[in-house]
Amino acid sequence: MSNDTRRGYKIEVWVTAICFIIVAITGGFFSSVVVILNESFFSQVPTPEHLIEAYGETMFVFKEHLSVWGFPLHYFLLIVLSWIGATAIGAIWCIVMDRLEEQQRA
Amino acid sequence: MEPRGEVFVLGLVLSIVVLVISVMISVWARRFTRTLGDYYVAGRSIGALNNGLAMVSLALSLTTFIGLTALIIEGLYIAVAVYASFTAAFIGLMILAAPYLRRHKSFTTMAFISERYGSKTLRYISVVIMLIVSVLYLGGNLKGIGIVFYFLLGVPEIWGIIVGGLVVTLYVTLGGMYGVTYNQTMQSIVLIFCLMFPVAIVLRTMGATGWAFPPLGYGDMVPLMTETVPHYFWAMVAHPVVYIAIFLGSFFGIIGLPHFVMRFFTVRDAREARWSTVICVFLVGLVNTTVYATGFAAVYYMQTAGADVPTAAYDYVVFILVEALAGEGWLALAIAGSVAAGLSTVSGLLMIMGAGLVHDLYSECESKFEALPFGAVLGLVAGLSFNQVLSTFFGFGGMPWPWIWGLLGLLLGAVLTHLFFKPDVDDDLKLKLSYGAMLLVGILVIIFSFEPPEFILEAIMWSFGIAAAGLGVPIVLGIWWKRTNKYGVGAGMVVGTLIAFIGWIMIGYMGMDPVDIPFPFFARYFYGPLGWIKVIAIAVPVSFILTIVVSWLTPPPAKDLQRQVDEMHGWSDVDPKRYNGKALPITIIVLSVFIMWFITTLYDQFPK
Repeated sequence: MSNDTRRGYKIEVWVTAICFIIVAITGGFFSSVVVILNESFFSQVPTPEHLIEAYGETMFVFKEHLSVWGFPLHYFLLIVLSWIGATAIGAIWCIVMDRLEEQQRA
Repeated sequence: MEPRGEVFVLGLVLSIVVLVISVMISVWARRFTRTLGDYYVAGRSIGALNNGLAMVSLALSLTTFIGLTALIIEGLYIAVAVYASFTAAFIGLMILAAPYLRRHKSFTTMAFISERYGSKTLRYISVVIMLIVSVLYLGGNLKGIGIVFYFLLGVPEIWGIIVGGLVVTLYVTLGGMYGVTYNQTMQSIVLIFCLMFPVAIVLRTMGATGWAFPPLGYGDMVPLMTETVPHYFWAMVAHPVVYIAIFLGSFFGIIGLPHFVMRFFTVRDAREARWSTVICVFLVGLVNTTVYATGFAAVYYMQTAGADVPTAAYDYVVFILVEALAGEGWLALAIAGSVAAGLSTVSGLLMIMGAGLVHDLYSECESKFEALPFGAVLGLVAGLSFNQVLSTFFGFGGMPWPWIWGLLGLLLGAVLTHLFFKPDVDDDLKLKLSYGAMLLVGILVIIFSFEPPEFILEAIMWSFGIAAAGLGVPIVLGIWWKRTNKYGVGAGMVVGTLIAFIGWIMIGYMGMDPVDIPFPFFARYFYGPLGWIKVIAIAVPVSFILTIVVSWLTPPPAKDLQRQVDEMHGWSDVDPKRYNGKALPITIIVLSVFIMWFITTLYDQFPK
């Protein structure tokens, strides 16, 4: 494998890996992160006992002032990252792969 | 819900216009079909914009109109998380598979698996998995067309299934992939407009200041929603592994679903495959975020207007909302858009099923013995369909008749194949055979859809899970790890598919409580909202682990098979070290084991 070929191969693998990890976070794992780090993201109000009485479920609620354009922050991030975020990552990956393809042809 | 008392003329007219235009496009597109390649992959001549738009309508399907809002009402935040993952999954599909599959020059997923791993047995197995996945996906969508007709005309859903099914069968058979592609492009444009505009009007009527841009136009109503339904935006109802299962099902399911993958075989080159996906994900996101707004509006409307919408009518809530808050003109548009959405997905599924049976099973057979599975599968489906007709129209059914008719069909199919099969038929005959097979598959599928699953989106989510474990894993590893061989893939796809499919049989079909299914060790952890989806978090990791471990323990694939990996990535030379390291398989195994262990954690912290 020549140096140029090796470099192209490494670019392809690393760019693909990084883009996949980011898009997996924006589209899939973001919600998990929110759940796992709930103490940092949310306040537990009202109390779980109250929730059980009212809705039959124990859940948490978003912090009141943590919002963007009126949406709770985590909801806003979820819908925008999985849409615009994923599209942007895809476009960046495409540009890199287009260039790599040109090099392969050359 | 009760149907409308009278025929909704405007909605009916617009829906008929959509149906007629669909058939006309196929008749027009028929002139481009000369060869098998034209019929199945549109001569590999489709551009990025055209393919991107076609993928949009394929992706959005009827669940966008009638399944997702029902799920949002039932599951709120989790439902949004499901579709957020589904939206981003297209980029996963692109990064991991799309351009590489295009360079491979196969016609279908099944052909790719067979040729990449050098095994005809894997071709047969993957065709069976494709049929399972497609029938699950298709039944829900045809039922959706039935629901629309029921609402529109007040006639039983079954007539909607028959009429919609026959129209789509007609235009798929006539136009082949050219017809399907141009139809899907038209249907994408129709459904985007027919969803965005009525929802904008609904939001305006409700008082949202940003109504002109529905995806983000209801933010100022959040405080009102929080007062009305305080828990609407709460994310904390499920174990984190639920979201991981959603991710696995979406990202690897979309790679495994053959009707999505088939679109990439139709484009001109790998570059067009890439950019078509970017176009697709942008538009899919636009529509999906609009649907979240619809779900929001539906919940708010039901709480504030005192509308008594029974649970069974949640599937209709988009129409109820549009009629109540936007008026009949907009309702007619929404109905036409939903018909377009249903047709596009069904056409893609019919295309892949016809291609799978004729191209991947029949055409590859070199002897009567090899053709037996083709005849047997078709006979089995025909036998079960016959039982369905007897049951639906004559009330003659129940156990053990499905078994009897299925077995008789299987035997008859095998015998007829043995008597009439001719190997080495020329391409002209194959093309004629394709027309006939497509028509037959369409009719059988319509009959199969007479008794579709109750909850449309749930059936489709199961099909994503099965596709992820059965077909997604071998595709991804086949592209990114040269060492993957047919033994590993055989073990992984069979066991992974069985785990997901048996899960569906017990939970989705037989209606068992997930925590009660006889699933060793794990069943008790399938609790909570969408708890059954954790089955996917076992099926996919098991498929990955088995594929990698068995591949390592058995001889490596032949050099010409490994060469395909370099070619798929665009390299003109071959290097045995490329895509052959240990880091990727070890990382996958570690993550897989971690996910399965994670299911068993935090047991006491979530409601059962």
